[in-house]
Formats: sequence, C-alpha cells, structure tokens
Amino acid sequence: MSFRKRNIGLSAGFDRNGAVNPSAQPQQAPATPESTPGVRPSPDDGRPTTSTGTPSLDNLLAGHGGLPIGKILLVEENGTTDFAGALLRYYAAEGVVQDQKIHVVGMPEQWGRSLPGLIGPADAVDEKQDKRKGDRMKIAWRYERLGEFGAGIAGSRASVPSGDQSQSATDASVDKRPAFCHAFDLTKRLTHPSITNLNYIPLAPSNEPLLVTIQKRLQAAIASSPPNTVHRIVIPSLLNPTIYPPETSQPDHLLPFLHSLRALMSAPGARITAMITLPLSLFPRSTGLVRWMEILSDGVIELCPFPHSSDALATSGAATSHEEPPQGMLKVHRLPVLHERGGGSDQNIGLDWAFTLSRKRFEIKPFSLPPDEGDKEGQEAAVTGGMPKKADLEF
Amino acid sequence: MPSQPPLPPLLTPYASSLPPSSLTVLSSVLGATGNWLVLRFLYAALTTSSVSDAALGLSETSHGKKRKVVLVSFLRGWDFWRTEAKRLGLDLARLTDKQEFAFVDGLSELFSAPSTASTQAPIHQSSLRGAVPPRTVLPLRSQPGPVPARGPQPAPRPVAAAPNPPASKEIGPVKRLRLSGNGPAALDALEKDIAAVINGVRTPTPGDGQEDPEVLLVLDQPDLLLAATGPSKGIGATEMGDWVMGLQQYAHATVLTVSADSPLIHNASTFAHQPSTPLETEHAAFAIGTAHRAHMVMQLRNLETGAARDVSGVLRVSKGGAWGQNDSTEGDSHWEEKEVLYFVQRDGGVSVFGRGE
Repeated sequence: MSFRKRNIGLSAGFDRNGAVNPSAQPQQAPATPESTPGVRPSPDDGRPTTSTGTPSLDNLLAGHGGLPIGKILLVEENGTTDFAGALLRYYAAEGVVQDQKIHVVGMPEQWGRSLPGLIGPADAVDEKQDKRKGDRMKIAWRYERLGEFGAGIAGSRASVPSGDQSQSATDASVDKRPAFCHAFDLTKRLTHPSITNLNYIPLAPSNEPLLVTIQKRLQAAIASSPPNTVHRIVIPSLLNPTIYPPETSQPDHLLPFLHSLRALMSAPGARITAMITLPLSLFPRSTGLVRWMEILSDGVIELCPFPHSSDALATSGAATSHEEPPQGMLKVHRLPVLHERGGGSDQNIGLDWAFTLSRKRFEIKPFSLPPDEGDKEGQEAAVTGGMPKKADLEF
Repeated sequence: MPSQPPLPPLLTPYASSLPPSSLTVLSSVLGATGNWLVLRFLYAALTTSSVSDAALGLSETSHGKKRKVVLVSFLRGWDFWRTEAKRLGLDLARLTDKQEFAFVDGLSELFSAPSTASTQAPIHQSSLRGAVPPRTVLPLRSQPGPVPARGPQPAPRPVAAAPNPPASKEIGPVKRLRLSGNGPAALDALEKDIAAVINGVRTPTPGDGQEDPEVLLVLDQPDLLLAATGPSKGIGATEMGDWVMGLQQYAHATVLTVSADSPLIHNASTFAHQPSTPLETEHAAFAIGTAHRAHMVMQLRNLETGAARDVSGVLRVSKGGAWGQNDSTEGDSHWEEKEVLYFVQRDGGVSVFGRGE
C-alpha cells in the first residue's frame, strides 16, 4: 500500500520516464521522504502531506496530519476580519522555512515581507507549555510524532474543562528528523535565506482574460522549476473587488481557472498544494458560484469570527480563566481525501470548532459553551423554588 | 474490512442490472460525494467479466454478456480512480489493457489553451502522438502487474513524439478531452471524442469470441461543463441535455453524476429570496431535466440531524421520470424505492443499512 503511494511522489521527474523500469522504482522509494523536508507520509494512508504551518489545522485534516499534496484548501471568512489571511501567512511562512517554492497570486512583494517570524519547530514550542506531559506514561511512541492522529483533537475534548494544556501537544522526540511544522510569531518578520524565492504573480491587465494569464504563469513557473520541488500556491482573498476586476467573478472565468488549477495539481509528478481564501460577505455560500468553488476545492473550511458585541460571550466561552477566549467559530464543510471518498468516519466530524488567534499561534479547538454564569436569577430560582411549587403544577 | 463485501447487498439490485438505453442519475452534495457509488457501479459491471475476483455474492452472471465500461470524469484524474478502484479489488489498469475499461480524462486539459496538437482526432494513436506527453502513460506503466504485453512497451515510450508509434492497444484509452470553441460545436467535438473511445472499446478484440459487448458509460459530473461555460458561451441546459442524450445512443446504459446542492437547485426557484444567476438557473434546469429523463435517481445527501461518526450520509433511490417507459419489465420489477443510510469506512469499504439497523 504505502509502496504505491510513495511511488507517486517519486515519479516527479519526467526525464526519468524513459530510463527507469518499473521494478527499479520501489527500491528508490524509501529514500524520498527524507530527502524532501516538510513532506511526510500520512499516517492514514501513506500519501505525502505537507504542513499548513498551523499545527491544529494540520490535525483537523482528516487524520492525515497535514495537507495532502495535490489538494486545494479553500478558507472562507465572514465579516471584515482577516483571520484567514493569518492562516495564509502561516502557510506561506512554513513553505519558506521548508525551502518550498511559493507562488503568491495578486499580492505585492510587501505581502511576502510581512510573513510572521520563525520561533522554532512547533513541537518545541508546545513542549515548554506542556509541563504535565512528562508525567504521563508513554504509549506507542512511534505514533506520537504524528501529531494527534489517533487521539485527535476530539480525544482531548474531555480535558478542556479541566484546563489541561496538552491540547495540541506533539512530542519533541523528533529532534533527529527535520521538523514538519514550525511556530511563527505574527509580530515579527520572517528572515530566511529563501524568502527572496517567492514568486509573485501580479494581476497585470493584458489582452487575455486575467485568470488565464495567472494560470499560464503558474504553469510556466512550475514547469520551469526543477523536478521534486514542492510548490505552494497562495491565493489571498480571491475575487475581492479591490484586487480582482469584476469580470473574474463570472463563472465562465473563475470555474475554468479553478478547474485548470486542479488539473495542474493532479498532474502526475507534480507536488503542489494550494490555499485560497475567499471573502464570504461579498460572495455568500448560498450562491451557486461559491458552491461550485467549493466543489472544485478539496477542503473547505469557514471562519465565522464573533462580532465585537458578543465579547461577553466570547470571554465566558473560555472554559477556564487562564485559557484564551475563542475569537470565532470554525466550520468544516469538506475535508481533503476523506470527502472525495465519500465522507464520514472521521472522528473530528460533527464537532463545533472555535479558533483563537494569538501572537504566536492560530489554534483550533473544540467549542463548548460553559454554564451560563450570568443567569443568576434562573439558577437561584431553580435551587430555592424549583421543587416546592407543586401548586403550580397542579392545574 | 474483510467482512464488508465490495458491493453491499442492499445495493446489488440497483447497481447490477441497468436496463438497455437507460439513464441513471446519481446526485450528490458537497459533504456527501458520490464517487464511492460510481465505483460500485464500475465494480458491478466489470467483475462479471474479470476472472480474478472470485467469491462474490453476485447473482447477475445469468446473462453471460460481456460488460465494458467507459468512465468520463471531469473532476478527478486517473490516479484517483485507479487507487480507489484498487481498494475494491478492481485493477483498472489491467482492465484497460484488456480493453474492458477505458478512462476519458476530462480534467487535465479541458480548459488548457489550444496547442498545435490535434485533439479532434478520433483515433487513440494519433491523439497520443500529438497531445499527450510521456507522463500520461506513466500511471499505466508503473503497474507492477504481470501484464502480458509488457515486452514491447519500452520501444514506443522514448519515441512518443514519433510519427508512427506501434498500435499498442493498451496506450489507447486514456483520452484527454479539451473544450475548444463555443456553443454546441464544442460539445459536438467532445461527443465525437467520447464516442470514438466507446467504439474503440466495443470493437471486439480478436482473441475472445464475445459478440457485441454491453458498454456502460459513466459520466462523472458533466455539470462542470455547464457551470464553467454558461449561456454566454452558448452552452445551456438544453444543449447539455441534448449532448447527454447523444452520448446515450452509443452506450448500452448511462450513469451520470450531478451536483444537487441546495444553492444550485433551489436558488432558481421563483420563491428564492435572491435573484438567481444564470449559473443557478441553468444548473437547476439541467439537473431536473436529467432526473426526468432518468430511469432511476439515486440521491446522496447529508444526514439531516447533523454529522455522525458512523453514518456518512443518506442514499435515496427513487424512480426517475422515465421509469417504466421501456417495456422490459424484468429490469424494472425487482427493485423498489428505498431510503437507506451508508457509511464509508477509512479503508474504502461501504456498508449500507436501513435506519435503525
């Protein structure tokens, strides 16, 4: 099983096609995962995955521990906030750190200069906060490096009310191997030798339709890079009218573009992931166009930030006082691979998710409403006058 | 899970015998995709003729006709179908070699800019010569299976751009569609390409003494064509309906998958709160129109009560608008309308069960 999967990643080199006979490929296969940092086989089915730069988002993606190569993740956001942009920056920064090739569509170079600064491997950062972790008996250490696969975030749901911080803990026993996911600081700026390597694709008017131009430039950039390069395509705020001209939101412009993007990513030998964000306030989910964009994407998540007026709710939404209050809800509409196969069977499905963006991390965790602390009268009434009012009941 | 048969018993009557010249519509929504069901149709059609899959609880070998399948997929590539079919024990690459299965790729180059290569050529060899880079055939080649014709293969591969590749029969069926031009003419070109593949599969191979095999045509999400072109390019629901009907003529039976998400169907209604876009009206017209022409409609949708860990979704089988039109009652009589739940396991196995079971 895993043989076949790795084989796909290996067949990246077009030039090898002529020379390699089929029996030689499996022998080389085990060498590949080590040679490309930032790519590891999925614990679920062995397909290569890469990190989104956000550990808790990686863990949400249907047990693969990352975004599988060749998949498109669409992040939709309601309102005027830019939480999705933060996710996108983490995603791009992670790619820079892993020496992957980043293609940024429609953003000036300023965007790339404002990527969040590197703190270190995500595991190590978690380890500091996670003092209780060492007390526990270690079971199945070989699975532990795979993030929360198995236990899942759902598994730790019970521990949320008790204030256990082991939420997104991954073990630091990975020192020997290169880190899969890193932690970043939004207030700092990323300085990394390969940050100049970003490929900006501006939205310059030409005599062709704009999206066709973008698609061609993406294709050319990917074709001209050496084989085995891992690419990340970053498309911030697609269709946003301040960036994109109005005709791009016509279905006959947009959907062929997304379809071609899908084709590009599914080409044999290509190692590409993409993350797209979409402002939902302008393009609501109830329209057919957005639904088609979702059908053409592999994963769809929706961010619903809490409005400011409900700060009170948000504060009390934290189960304990020393936990960050959630800043919004996160809805999972579709997960890569899982839903392509037919859906179901993921243990994270059906939970309500909340997200918290702090300086150092974007964290997704199960959302649960705490007992209503404000409702004093109701509680007292229930305690004192709950039972004796028998007269009221006999009517 | 070994206890799970590849084709759940509850589905067998629906998937295994499709009446001649019938259309079956599978509708899916975002969270409940129909690929697993398409694979079950492939399985039901192909296992009767493949020898390696023994021990099946299928009773449909009664008519010993050979069945062949042509799969046209607009949203997913060959890799996806090959790996997923392998989980069911179907080796699509080998079946392609045996000319029992053909894949038509509507993903890779559908909207790519026209190049010098001719994609209209109806013969596989010539399309391979011009348009298809060597990587096209790589998925086929990397099969470690004991394919008999493995010997002469390395010869055509380095010279794939040479004018005269040997007529190796196993290179043929990965055909790539490309949409060019506007309006019905573009659709006609696609139809011609698909028809050529169907005819190529139907042509009896010299070795086996089968006569006139039944070809099942599976169209995976052709509604993409409609959504991505739209009336401004001269392709509307009517043209798409005609196109599907034209394709049906070439095949014994046709299975078509279509998206039926609420925004795509209900926004077109006059009771909707917002004005509908052409995309929505045309899509609704196409989906509803095909359902009316269908012999059977299988709808997949999410569980109304929210997500569950042991249920992936709901499958409703109902009679389509064309049910009972052809008089062959034997095909129609042994299934009934039904609503069941299904669950797709991590290993790809599917269990289908009634509510409360």
